[in-house]
Amino acid sequence: MLRRISLSVLVLTLFAAMSQFGRADDKSSEELVKLIVKLIGDPDREFRAAGLEKVRSSAKGAAATQVFAAQLAKLDAAGQMALLNALADRRDSAAKTAVLDLLNASKDEQVRASALLALGSLGGVDDLPLVVKSLTAASGPEQGAARRSLVQMSGDTVNKSLAAELKIASPAVKSALIDVLAIRRATDESPGLVAATIDDVAQVRSSAMSALGQIGRADQIAAILPGVLKAQKGGERDNAERNVAMICSRIENEDERGKRLIEALNTIPAADRDELLPLVGRVGGKTLINFVGDIASEQDPARRKFGIDALSKWPDASVADKLLEIANKTADPAERNQAFQGYVKIAATRDNRSDRQRLDRMKQAMKASRTPDEQLLVINRTRTAYDVEAVRFILPYLEDPQFAQLGCETIVEIAHHREVRDPHKAEFDKVLDKVIAVTKDAVVVDRAQRYKRGETWERPKK
Amino acid sequence: MLDTAFEALKKFDWGSDLRALAPIEDAITAAHGKPETGKEIETRLIAAMKGELSRDAREYVCRKLANVGTAACVPGLAALLVDKESSHMSRFALEQIPAPEAAQALREALPKASGLVKVGIISSLGAKRDAAAVAPLGELLKEGDAAIARAAALALGAIGNVESAAVLQRTLQAGGGPSAIIDALLSCAEALLSSNKLADATAIYKAFAQDHQPRLVRLAANRGLLACASKQT
Repeated sequence: MLRRISLSVLVLTLFAAMSQFGRADDKSSEELVKLIVKLIGDPDREFRAAGLEKVRSSAKGAAATQVFAAQLAKLDAAGQMALLNALADRRDSAAKTAVLDLLNASKDEQVRASALLALGSLGGVDDLPLVVKSLTAASGPEQGAARRSLVQMSGDTVNKSLAAELKIASPAVKSALIDVLAIRRATDESPGLVAATIDDVAQVRSSAMSALGQIGRADQIAAILPGVLKAQKGGERDNAERNVAMICSRIENEDERGKRLIEALNTIPAADRDELLPLVGRVGGKTLINFVGDIASEQDPARRKFGIDALSKWPDASVADKLLEIANKTADPAERNQAFQGYVKIAATRDNRSDRQRLDRMKQAMKASRTPDEQLLVINRTRTAYDVEAVRFILPYLEDPQFAQLGCETIVEIAHHREVRDPHKAEFDKVLDKVIAVTKDAVVVDRAQRYKRGETWERPKK
Repeated sequence: MLDTAFEALKKFDWGSDLRALAPIEDAITAAHGKPETGKEIETRLIAAMKGELSRDAREYVCRKLANVGTAACVPGLAALLVDKESSHMSRFALEQIPAPEAAQALREALPKASGLVKVGIISSLGAKRDAAAVAPLGELLKEGDAAIARAAALALGAIGNVESAAVLQRTLQAGGGPSAIIDALLSCAEALLSSNKLADATAIYKAFAQDHQPRLVRLAANRGLLACASKQT
């Protein structure tokens, strides 16, 4: 009995002590919140920063969050933006109502942008339509903030909701939503992106292709190819081909890569297939060389044109001999021109070959050249071989007025590379003197003089 | 090897080859965690210090006593404390010797020293966070020599206990003492905050958070108040 009474007394004492402790804790918390509120209202930035630091990390709980958020209405614009950022970092959705109120009430676009950004951390799927609407806001900062907000927004169904918005959105919003889905790496929603590759608006198609370049899968290649065909020739088509090539590059095995692309091509009507050959060229690889090489040697000149174009886009020099062979054999001047240009372009590619190997290809091209234009092309592209031998190869062309100017330009381009120039300084000095004497271009003279003095030259930004 | 090194120490001076003393260094390294071996080296270093040594050799001995010194070497080091030339290296050793006799030697040297030597001894008492030095340091806050009063304030701040804070607060309220008292009190508050004496720390910070205080003092005090309140929640 006595033991039971003692135990009860102990429990009661403990309970009393704990409730006392609780009250002390509440009081301390209240004091902390009060102090933070005082500091975030201070006009001095450093005092304000001290308070905001604590908004981010201290005084936990929704009640404190609401007290902090209630200060938004009392602050100037700079204070509002700073507090919105701190509340976003606090990541307590209890601040959301105050943030939404400010978003609706503020006339300052920077404040509204900060509020939108904060919604990315504090909001969820319910707030998504509002943020999506802001993607087309009149002000740039709001558009950017809305986009970043959608990228940050967390929740299991956010990607799904974004994909649903994608179906009903205006073209401008669609494009932005596609970018957001790509950054969120929303691979589950990629069917929506695939559908957008054949949208009627070029901007939407381009965004979808870029997004798929980042998150598209090999099993989607066949579904994306109609989008490549729909892309307008020129920049949009190039972008589409590049992005499909990026998807292909994620298939590590080269043979498998070629096989999967050929399978995808076979799903496209035969009449359209040739138009996709440049894409095959961008992907490259042994399996595809034969596939394209056969087409480039066919009877039908139109098909041959596509084949040569594809070979000219190859990512490495493995098709150089094939292009040279076509260039040498053909009787059609246009085809000769296309194949020779492709050969020189491919031979000059800075892939994993040595500079000497690249130069050897240029020498081979010069031997195969038939017109001054073709020679000019070779002189121009020799600048991709960073080797003193390349300078020795070009130097004689400075004696011929029709090649001299381009020769000078090629020589200064090679001389630009200090690692090539410095070990052969005496020889380069002589060659650069010759360039200075021959060229009529002030920029080339300036470059040559700088390299002689051991200085560098800054390429003007395009 | 060690005997040869101690022999070399007797002739050691500026410009001598330090490699001759390497066995002493090696012996000290090997004595780590072995108090008996450390004691032997300490005894030899004390004996060396009693003999005729160059200034450089004496400073070398002080540096080594900082590693292996105990209460036994304190009298020898204390004898150097008020000497302008050797005070610095003596304090260097005494600051690192954990025996209470080391702090006592510093306190006892206070009334005998003057000028920069005294400033140095005061700083060493602060560095040792010697609670027993609070009263004598408190007295020095009223010194006419501004450097000594300032050093005393900063040392009290470094000691950072309730008593040193009280002495500093009393001097501040009385309107005396150097301007470094504010820095010292803020150091005290920080130390009190670290040792969870939150009420004491808060009291100091609150006093300095008042509107009439200079901006940077108010800023530091407010940051301190936030830290105290955060720790309480």
